[in-house]
Amino acid sequence: MMNEAKLSVESTKTVPETTAQKAKPAQKPAWETPKMEDVSEQVMAQPYIRFT
Amino acid sequence: MTNRIDNLKAPLFIAWQITRDCDLCCLHCCTESAPGKRLSDELDADEAIALAGDIVRNEVPFVMLCGGEPLVAPHFFALAEALGHAGIRLKIETNGQRFDGQVAARLARLPVRSVQVSLDGDTQDVYERQRPGASLAKAHAACRAVREAGLPLEITFAPTRLNIHEAEAVIDRARTLGAFRFNSGRLMRIGTAGRLWDRLEPTAAQYRGFRRVLSRRQSVERELELCYFPFSIRDALRASLKEPPATMLVLPNGWVKVAAAIPDICADLRCTTVADAWQAYCSAWHDDGVRAAIRRAVNDESRHAEANTWQLMSVAHVEREA
Repeated sequence: MMNEAKLSVESTKTVPETTAQKAKPAQKPAWETPKMEDVSEQVMAQPYIRFT
Repeated sequence: MTNRIDNLKAPLFIAWQITRDCDLCCLHCCTESAPGKRLSDELDADEAIALAGDIVRNEVPFVMLCGGEPLVAPHFFALAEALGHAGIRLKIETNGQRFDGQVAARLARLPVRSVQVSLDGDTQDVYERQRPGASLAKAHAACRAVREAGLPLEITFAPTRLNIHEAEAVIDRARTLGAFRFNSGRLMRIGTAGRLWDRLEPTAAQYRGFRRVLSRRQSVERELELCYFPFSIRDALRASLKEPPATMLVLPNGWVKVAAAIPDICADLRCTTVADAWQAYCSAWHDDGVRAAIRRAVNDESRHAEANTWQLMSVAHVEREA
């Protein structure tokens, strides 16, 4: 089943009020563990990674 | 609608600016780094090591340590070793001014995927015009130290009106030095470069010539990969709207940026775990306000100059439903 993310963002502020709700590992069994082989050239080709 | 990143429990790649301090004050710098420009609220060594531990626990496979100049941070090696000894692949970005054989030998014990050295010119005169006070000979020596230690070398070239005519010579130099990749693209209008844009921005004719050089050399180079797509940060942002990158940009104070060219900050790693910061990042890419800001940045490059006026988003509510 697809994950659905919901977010509401208030006006931008320089002082944090709250941060993301604590994630519970038990709630994420279906999530994929990132793998080195998935770090494609496309991922690495973003300008700020390629040349900063 | 679900993005690819929503299915990942952590980013594939973290770009971590460990300090804004630098031993150079380059005209084109996108992070506005310079000597003495360390942020007052940068993560200290203990906090940075704790964050490295959290990155390891979240099984992030690849981390880039950059700055500023990462080697000026006293805890650089502690960080690199905390990550590397845990098996995380590393990329190190450096200006090469203090990168010698000892540094290379120490890094060679770690799983370093590449060391990236900036060569923004092929003559001392041009190089130093863009990097005041810097030594091209030291940067070349750093490249040789990287290769002699058996580490993979990448070269990066930030084109400006000052140096674009030496691009092809730098490509030749990169090959001679044993680099496997030459990175470039359109100059980013962020940070110091944004402030000095009128002095630095190459002309349209210069860019056309540059693109011809890149295209011609790409067709003949065998060992050296020329990497220059997406050519501009606008192109990258446009693509990101369709498929947000599985990467996280961490600033020296532990804040997490949604994208390099906009000021929005989605998490503060001083008070949030990597897992939660990743969740906030993924959620931010669904937010209408963030997406509108990115579209504005795509449509108007001058807005990129605001990218370093960081704005911490107040994330009031995040839910993920299985």
